[in-house]
Amino acid sequence: MWNVIIFEVLRALKKKSFWVASFMPPLIVLAVFGVEYFSVNASKSSSAQLAQTSSVSTKIAALDDSGLVSQKLLAAGHIAIEPTKGAGIAAVASGGLGAFLYYPADVSTSGIQIYAQDQGIGQTPYNDLATNLLKQSVAAEVSAAIPTSTQAVTILENAPAVTVTTYKNGVQTPGFAGAIAPGFFAVAFFLLIILLSPVMISSTAEEKENRASEILLTSIKAGDLIGGKMISILILGAVQSVAIIAPIVIALLRFPALLQGISLSSIPLDPGAIAIGALFLAAGFALYTGLIMGVGSMIPGTSTANRFMGIFIIWVFVPLYTISLVITDPRNVAVTILTYFPLTAPTMVLLRNALGSLSLGDAAIAFAIVAATAAFTVWFAVRAFRYGSMEHGRRISLKELLH
Amino acid sequence: MADSSTSSPVVDIRSFEMRFGAKDVIKDLSFAVNQGEVFGFLGANGAGKTTTIRTLLSLLEPTGGTLLVHGKRYDPSMTAMVGYLPEERGLYRNEPILDTMVYFAVLHGLKRSDATARALAYLDRVGLGDKAKERLINLSNGQQQKIQLGVTILHEPSLMILDEPTASLDPVNRSLLMDLVSEQRAKGATVMLVTHRMEEVEQLCDRILIMKDGVSAAYGTVNEVKDASGAKVIEVAYTGTLPQNDALYAITSRLPHSAELAWKKNVAVDDVFRFLAGVAGLHVTTFNVRRPTLNEIFLELYKGQPAPDTGN
Repeated sequence: MWNVIIFEVLRALKKKSFWVASFMPPLIVLAVFGVEYFSVNASKSSSAQLAQTSSVSTKIAALDDSGLVSQKLLAAGHIAIEPTKGAGIAAVASGGLGAFLYYPADVSTSGIQIYAQDQGIGQTPYNDLATNLLKQSVAAEVSAAIPTSTQAVTILENAPAVTVTTYKNGVQTPGFAGAIAPGFFAVAFFLLIILLSPVMISSTAEEKENRASEILLTSIKAGDLIGGKMISILILGAVQSVAIIAPIVIALLRFPALLQGISLSSIPLDPGAIAIGALFLAAGFALYTGLIMGVGSMIPGTSTANRFMGIFIIWVFVPLYTISLVITDPRNVAVTILTYFPLTAPTMVLLRNALGSLSLGDAAIAFAIVAATAAFTVWFAVRAFRYGSMEHGRRISLKELLH
Repeated sequence: MADSSTSSPVVDIRSFEMRFGAKDVIKDLSFAVNQGEVFGFLGANGAGKTTTIRTLLSLLEPTGGTLLVHGKRYDPSMTAMVGYLPEERGLYRNEPILDTMVYFAVLHGLKRSDATARALAYLDRVGLGDKAKERLINLSNGQQQKIQLGVTILHEPSLMILDEPTASLDPVNRSLLMDLVSEQRAKGATVMLVTHRMEEVEQLCDRILIMKDGVSAAYGTVNEVKDASGAKVIEVAYTGTLPQNDALYAITSRLPHSAELAWKKNVAVDDVFRFLAGVAGLHVTTFNVRRPTLNEIFLELYKGQPAPDTGN
């Protein structure tokens, strides 16, 4: 078996496609982090600066029927005043204005109206400007009315931080931070299945396509071969996981603001939740690896096998569509069904485990189901390779396989 | 060379039966392959050869009978003893040749260092020394076949099962590969050879078995099979017109003034000569009786059957 592991791991590591697949996700994540980081910094710019910058580059006018917007701020931002709403809209329509900001009398209920030159769908460069003008004007008014309360102004300008303390069965629970450690196993499961399913299916489909299976099966027991391949896939998964996680950890250490106040050292490590996560990660991985490798042995070639793979992989994602139910009503019948259905159980249990809504009883029953199914799929993979891989260029049926 | 010192047959197949669904593919097949011999396992496509080999190597389970290698049912733990070149050729097409050869040699029980040294030596021997790092897919069919044979013999097995080893090879490479097989035999290996090239069989094989429709149609040494066929061939040169005579002979080939005749069983050769020289009035210049070639026996066995397909 070790020879199989060494061969399979080394030949995968020598392939460029493996490294592209390994580094593409972290690069994308880093890019997203980078964009978010710079967006956060950019948003810290003051509204006055924004107003000034905007008004200098674009001709902006406003009309305040609410009486809340400070005329001084408007003047500071070089924002002209239109006599009527209609005149403002007409000026924008004719191209005379870049934007017209209208604050109706009941602005708190009907909201701010912006009329502007079209800069493409989703382009709303005046939203922040209009909102901040109003917020700063109101804050200044409050400050003038309650000169002793700096808190009132601060609260108006920035929503206060919220600290939630939760209890379960009379014991304080860790809240969101408590989901991080068990959530790691859910993320790892997704990553392993997404990144490695092509490797899983090609590891057997390729043998069949290459017609190497006949020599292999006379040289090594099918069980040892499949076992070796599964372990090698797990090793490759570990390599890819490190490749993905390492840049993220580096990014978090480099830009601690991204952790949004959570200290790494304060993340609670619940041994029970971690054990459940590890067990379901292993059993779920074995279940899907066995299933996909078995399918790979039954299908004539890699390209055909890849088309079939989606039918099975989709089940990994089905529980994600019920995530709101998992949070709000974990005893819902749909959640229960997906907890016990073998192909959705790994994902559902890992999600519930992370969100703290998994009972020990549910975990035990689901694990029995997943472990038994995993044992079956591994047996199925061995049998499919044993009897299906020699049927070159032909798809064998389940009936033939189980005969 | 793996140890196989035993007086019992290297391959021992008794009362082998195989049924796929309602179809009997092999019926009561028994034969043995002895230590050190080259055994020709012959038959048209679909006769059951590959099924027999796959069952012998435990790739298939028999419906009935016993199939033994060195006295035991084969399992992959015996891989060091056996080199198998399957009819369905295949190795890792996108991997470097050396890596593939070393992998299989290691699976066959060699140490990695030995495997590497032997693989490099083999590649040099077959003229592919500069291709060690090449991917298999970049080689010609003939070159790939050499790699495939290398994978089969690198660990110097005591039993080699070669299914059409020279198929698709040019004469030069065919000769090279048969030399390699002969070398292994000289070292004491037993060879079970499946081929459709009867000249290779006549040249190499000690004993043969010809299968037809899942049963043994001929079995023994090459000469025994020829004798048992009961057929002989008359090579006759003449002037005149050679007549048909279904009662005495069949004309197997004919040139303007010579022909080959396969005469019927239970007909004396003298009767044929008397008919040709007397009744038919031919002037017979030469009249030579010889045993049929294996090819002729093979064709006679399969006479009247449609041309075999290319699958098996």
